[in-house]
Amino acid sequence: MVKSLEEVHEELNVWGFPHHPWEFTLGNTHITLNPKTLVMTWIVMLLVILFTVSATRNMNMKRPGKLQLMVEEIFLFLRGLVYENMDPKKGAGLMSLIFTLFIFLLFSNLWGLVPTMMSPTADVNTTAGMAIMVFFLVQFMGMRYKGAGHFKHFLEPFPFFLPLTIVEELAKPVTLAFRLYGNIYGGEVLIAVLLGLLGLNTFIFGGFIPSVVWLAFSIFVGFIQAFIFTMLTIAYISQVVKEHEH
Amino acid sequence: MEALGINYTLVAQIINFVILLIFLRLVVYKPIVNILEQRQQYIANNVAAAEEERKQAEALRQQYLAEMQKAREEAQAIIQQATKAGEDKAQEIVEAAKAEAQRIKESALEEIAREKEKAVAELRDQVASLSILVAQKIINQTITPEIQHGLVQEFIKEAGDLPC
Repeated sequence: MVKSLEEVHEELNVWGFPHHPWEFTLGNTHITLNPKTLVMTWIVMLLVILFTVSATRNMNMKRPGKLQLMVEEIFLFLRGLVYENMDPKKGAGLMSLIFTLFIFLLFSNLWGLVPTMMSPTADVNTTAGMAIMVFFLVQFMGMRYKGAGHFKHFLEPFPFFLPLTIVEELAKPVTLAFRLYGNIYGGEVLIAVLLGLLGLNTFIFGGFIPSVVWLAFSIFVGFIQAFIFTMLTIAYISQVVKEHEH
Repeated sequence: MEALGINYTLVAQIINFVILLIFLRLVVYKPIVNILEQRQQYIANNVAAAEEERKQAEALRQQYLAEMQKAREEAQAIIQQATKAGEDKAQEIVEAAKAEAQRIKESALEEIAREKEKAVAELRDQVASLSILVAQKIINQTITPEIQHGLVQEFIKEAGDLPC
């Protein structure tokens, strides 16, 4: 009765997504795209827009609605994190990015728990894209507030540590990308594995319990990973924008 | 890169994210910030108003306390004044009564002295007449009116020297 992972994936593919990347050539560039990831990303984007827009229409200052309260609380929580870690004057401009990042990653992580759907963050392209964006953002913020002095920290404490500090800097986006990807992809694989291991007859005898437990834990992991990614983004930016205390 | 499964989807995802970021920045971000600012403003106003009212209440309290103190002092002053006036009045009445009593006593003494004078004069006359009568009896009517008159005068003179 035990099915292979490929069989489970094949059974779950009720929407008929192709198994191979979509390939075409634009000019001289050979472009490959993962259709399932893109479609799921667009769905998640629509969900985020639906959620935030419906939460921010007809806002009431004295009697906030449930959705409004949720969005406000998320926003205030993130703003608290940002203002704790850097000068509020520098942090205020980042708030829209941090807010979008957190809410997009959160929805992405949770969307994979809906049956037959997939988290955009279970594709390494999404997480690597986010991480690279954060990496360039960090460099940009560093140069904006310190100019060329931003690159001085590569030579500290000693100039011959340069290779190490470069590796350290490059490790940041790599770990950001693979931490999130590994957690979410692993969670989805385990969902499929549990489905494959436990046939229909096992379900009658309580075989669904591991799946339920794992889904609950995946919700937790989704929140935690979205939070960690956002928190690390804030931390990396705050490192490069803060004044050096001498 | 291919082995890791990284392809142009990465670029597409960045573009997707930037589109979402711009949309949320334009449509969603502003109302949230506005409402939070409004609430902050509202709470700050409330706190300021409460503080203001507390100050006013304190000022009113001080004013009332001062007024009460003033009223109490005034009442005290009025009572003192009244007491003093009463005492003065009593003193005056006592003085007047004393003066009246003195006057009555003096007039009574005068009356007594006058009555005594009158009684003494009467007594003298009678004593003199009686003496003459007795003397007439004794002398067996040998005395002339001239002698009698001389005797009477002498007697009166003597009787005037009597202590009575």
